[in-house]
Amino acid sequence: MPMKLTINKTAHQIEAAPDTPLLWVLRDELALTGTKYGCGIGVCGSCTVLVDGKPVRSCVTPISRLEGRRITTIEGVSEDNSHPVQRAWETLQVPQCGYCQSGQILTAIALLETDADPSDEAIDQAMSGVICRCGTYPRIRQAIKLAASSGRGEGEQT
Amino acid sequence: MNAFNPDRRRFLKLGAGITGASLVLGVNWSCTADAPDADSASPDGFMPNAWLRIDTQGFVTVIVAESEMGQGPYTALPMMVAEELEVEWRQVGVEHASLAPVYGRQVTGGSTSVSKAWTILRQAGAIARTMLLQAAAEGWQVPLDECRAERGKVVHPGSGREQSYGQLTAVAASLPMPDSVQLKRPSDYRIIGTPVPRLDSPQKINGSARFGIDTRLPGMRYATITHCPVFGGKAKNIDASRALDINGVLDVFSIEQGVVVVAKDTWTAFKGRAALDIEWESGDTQTLSNRSILDDLQKLKVEEGSAAAVWVGEPESALDGAALESRYSLPFQAHVPLEPINCTASFEAGKLRIWAPTQAPTRAYDAAQEVVQSKLTQAANKLKRKLFDAEDTSIEINTTLLGGGFGRRLKQDYVTEVAQIAERVDGPVQLIWTREEDLQHDFYHPLTLHEMRGALDSRGRPLAWHHTIKGTGARLGGADALPYDIPHIRVDLIDLDTPVPVGPWRSVQHHYNAFAVEHFFDELARAGGQDPLQLRLQMMSQAPRLRKTLEVAAEKAGWDYDSGLFGAAAHAGFGSYASEVVHLRPEGTRLKIAKVTCVVDCGIVVNPDIARAQLEGAIIFGLSAALKSSIEVEGGSVRQSNFHNYPILTMAETPPMEIVFIDSRESPGGIGEPGVPPLAPALANALMAASGRPVRELPLDFDHSGIRVA
Repeated sequence: MPMKLTINKTAHQIEAAPDTPLLWVLRDELALTGTKYGCGIGVCGSCTVLVDGKPVRSCVTPISRLEGRRITTIEGVSEDNSHPVQRAWETLQVPQCGYCQSGQILTAIALLETDADPSDEAIDQAMSGVICRCGTYPRIRQAIKLAASSGRGEGEQT
Repeated sequence: MNAFNPDRRRFLKLGAGITGASLVLGVNWSCTADAPDADSASPDGFMPNAWLRIDTQGFVTVIVAESEMGQGPYTALPMMVAEELEVEWRQVGVEHASLAPVYGRQVTGGSTSVSKAWTILRQAGAIARTMLLQAAAEGWQVPLDECRAERGKVVHPGSGREQSYGQLTAVAASLPMPDSVQLKRPSDYRIIGTPVPRLDSPQKINGSARFGIDTRLPGMRYATITHCPVFGGKAKNIDASRALDINGVLDVFSIEQGVVVVAKDTWTAFKGRAALDIEWESGDTQTLSNRSILDDLQKLKVEEGSAAAVWVGEPESALDGAALESRYSLPFQAHVPLEPINCTASFEAGKLRIWAPTQAPTRAYDAAQEVVQSKLTQAANKLKRKLFDAEDTSIEINTTLLGGGFGRRLKQDYVTEVAQIAERVDGPVQLIWTREEDLQHDFYHPLTLHEMRGALDSRGRPLAWHHTIKGTGARLGGADALPYDIPHIRVDLIDLDTPVPVGPWRSVQHHYNAFAVEHFFDELARAGGQDPLQLRLQMMSQAPRLRKTLEVAAEKAGWDYDSGLFGAAAHAGFGSYASEVVHLRPEGTRLKIAKVTCVVDCGIVVNPDIARAQLEGAIIFGLSAALKSSIEVEGGSVRQSNFHNYPILTMAETPPMEIVFIDSRESPGGIGEPGVPPLAPALANALMAASGRPVRELPLDFDHSGIRVA
């Protein structure tokens, strides 16, 4: 029996079996390819999406657990790259290869939802589960601080 | 301005047919800095040569034949065209080249994208600018030298007239290519040398960037593969019944490289792979291990009477008696680009189309052709007739964005596999390796052993040097041209062929050789009672550019050898010069990295922000290998299987860093790799300053509380 999932505020009828991880439903059934496969065991963070605003590893989260929950993928962050976190990412030119950045951005958004002015330690704590082989960490840290300051109305100067 | 006579062969206009291919088939990726949508550009316009196209709106599309894996050619190369063409950055987009011969061999590696393109892409822009100027001057009936090109327009200051490039495309397209063009003086640059935003970043922050793994074709199937866990082994018996019982598993079959599961989606293919029951035939590699390889390497000796790779002065007599000896080993490393190995293909009506996240489209073509040819030959032999008309058989390679490369995607094994799979599958098919397959079937950075001998002169300075490099696919680069004034030098290279596949990994042989050279230099300096950094500076008379980077790095880092917390290393490679200083900070019984200072002379810096990002990334890449990761072979297979046991550096483990470029007017050198080699030796040298003991092997003993000093 098809399941119903709410992804980026849109209801979808899902054909996949209930034990299918959300990652593969997003990528292969719905063609929402912004969410990435990196490890398949929940340790690299590339597949991070938000479920009710909290970061979740979609590669190890079966869709059976998600009915009635609010799922946000990178495609649902904004229409036009205008989310403060995306703007900070663009200002500081964070992405290199870019593959892990969906997971980085969604994790950062969730962090700033719970802590509008995170310390370095809080940023480390929240972000160290999302790995980047290109080594964009110094810029991610700066971009989170920039997004936090723009959220406080301090503009985008650093 | 400098006059250049362009090499006309590199500027051929693409013929009508090829242009069509480029527009219709080759366009698999394009993006722009700003709002204009390259896809909606009019097909009319001006394509003065194979490297750029200007549409009737004046929008410039630069054709780039280098793969974008994060290192920035999709931005740095268009900057060269835009500079000479005199257009605003927001008027510029990028498109990946087709495999037309005019682009030469398409292989992205060795940190050469910028240096290879430096002359030709500036010339390409200058040719277009010259033709647009001629078009305007002829239209206005004024002398050419009274016209100026600026910001996407030609202006005639005398009469106040101006025309946009878009308006001039039709006339310009009818003009012959100029015999010579003038290139701008560096002092007149408006784009080169500035941190213009990357053309690929808007797509990379909203999920719309298409990597190879994101290729989606109508009716596409998903395939995965399992390779024999033991190197060189083969499947003996395959029981696919449990896999085929899974709803959505469509087929299971063997190809030369392994056993393939085809399914309706990736997850089902992975489930099918896990359900396979395969009896492998492992052969005699089951006793292979890091230990056995190291033992074999230790036993190897330079053959009596064979020539040394490097022989300067009289090293043997100078080393006789008073030599200091040391030995270092560096393990196998994996690449682990975050985008797992994948490739998409369709083989329909005799045409093989491939979408590959590859560093080497030319090699991808060769790999695909080999599969097609062998099929043709087999079929022809079997049926005594040709199955396909060879002229109808064609191969199309579409190069996608790469989710990291680091050398892994110079190898085309996955193209060979997907081509074989596509022959068996009806319609398009995407091959995805699991991360486990990626870690266990990489082409690893080789395991190396370095045997060092050195002797000091009466003043405590290195007098003689002997470096024996032993490894599984080891090379000499970075060990053969020492930057120091050492009178007697010998370098030997002993290579051991093992079943462990090896290949290029970010900075290749410069990684292990720089470690050995730069750490042993510090051992000799300590033995002679010298500050190793001061000693380097004294002995670098023949390496002025490298010396300058070291001098500046020492100053920026606040070098204080007596504190026992600093280490430095310098290394030239990839056309550039890099020095790094690691500053440690004690924390309890452990040491943490307080700061890494990195100073680079890479000639003219085309985009300083991208260049800086490459060095940030190189330091982190180097730290992962020095502190955290290694590949261990045991029982003929790799023990590591995913990021939990092949960990890479995290944000919390990333130290503060300061990056400085030496101001230079030299032609650009490389930037993707030069930051890696000095990192591990600078760190090892700092640890030796702290502990008094050399670092014999990597990775170090490290966890969240810091580095444990033995």
